Amino acid sequence: MRFRFCGDLDCPDWVLAEISTLAKISSVKMKLLCAQVLKDLLGDGIDYDKVTKLTADAKFESGDIKASVAVLSFIFSSAAKHDVDSESLSSELQQLGLPKEHTTGLCKSYEDKHSALQCKLRETSLRLGRLEAVSWRVDYTLSSSELREVNEPMIQFKLQAQGAESGSTETTVVSVSADKFRVLLAELKQAQTRMNALQ
Amino acid sequence: MLLVLSEDHKEHLSFLPNVDAAVVGEFGRIALEFLRRGSSPKIYEGAARKLCVPVEMVQHGVEGLMYLMTESSKHMISEVDFLDSVLVLGFGEELNQILLQLYLQHHSQIRSILSQLPSHLPAYHNLEWRLDVQLASRPIRQQVVPMLTMRLLMTGGGDSGDLSRRVLQTDPSTLLHLISTLEAALAAIKTNHARRIFRNIK
Repeated sequence: MRFRFCGDLDCPDWVLAEISTLAKISSVKMKLLCAQVLKDLLGDGIDYDKVTKLTADAKFESGDIKASVAVLSFIFSSAAKHDVDSESLSSELQQLGLPKEHTTGLCKSYEDKHSALQCKLRETSLRLGRLEAVSWRVDYTLSSSELREVNEPMIQFKLQAQGAESGSTETTVVSVSADKFRVLLAELKQAQTRMNALQ
Repeated sequence: MLLVLSEDHKEHLSFLPNVDAAVVGEFGRIALEFLRRGSSPKIYEGAARKLCVPVEMVQHGVEGLMYLMTESSKHMISEVDFLDSVLVLGFGEELNQILLQLYLQHHSQIRSILSQLPSHLPAYHNLEWRLDVQLASRPIRQQVVPMLTMRLLMTGGGDSGDLSRRVLQTDPSTLLHLISTLEAALAAIKTNHARRIFRNIK
């Protein structure tokens, strides 16, 4: 059976199993649990004490708590990834056996945070070598050991970027002469025009 | 199989009958802590002072006990073989029983600690990817070049917890070839030859 929220693939077995665990808590508590999981997915951290209190009535053990958080995370992130609208998500979850009240609560939370989730997922997409900071300085060389009167401007660039493989900040220092810099500026302006044409 | 204990080892363990059962149990506990976390000289000094014996004797006794336990767990010897091996040391029946109990209680823990020792190859942890289309570059404009960029995260070989990363880039045709090769590898598990081997490994 293909499900849109699983990317037109079969639903994983563990998700099927844990949906029946989710059905054990009341739909009100389910909505609060969804809010906590969404907070975690958006990067605000999850309050495990609140989650434990919410699941205490249904007597969830620690394994059950972890499983329900995991299945809700999967449902939300996978549905946002494949850009599923909340009606399709609702009908697919009911097909998998999640009761109607729980599904309604879940889909309402999903709809509210749909665009925020997609924004966050876009930010965390793979990017190699993110440019973090640029600083520059213009110097004027008066004289050197080779030639007494040099009289030339020079630009020093410091680029701080995330290393592609290492992931930590790497600093590159480059010094550019005036002519080379004009070429660089012209090329970058052309690239910028192309990028603006795509927006 | 029987364990063969060297002369030095027997000499180190010969200290054990001279103390009472509770102390042997305590030594057993120290020996297991040694395996888990390493030893500290303070523990040996404390024990030596209480028993009025030199520190080296306590240290050798604990190390001898630990070596006996690891060798027995390593070869997974049965109770009977363990008792026969220990008989060589000429201890009393009660002491043999204490050593046997110590072995039986802890041998699975010892085996799991020992299994973590050899270093292993990097293992798959996560794969992040992005699909891009290159539209223009400095020498040539108006291009359409699809590219898949991947970052493979692996748990480092040897070091635990350190992730090593590799950045890879491929075009669509290589990607399709990669996918078909990996699917062929997965399908190899289902061949008769592989199934015959799996059936014979417990």
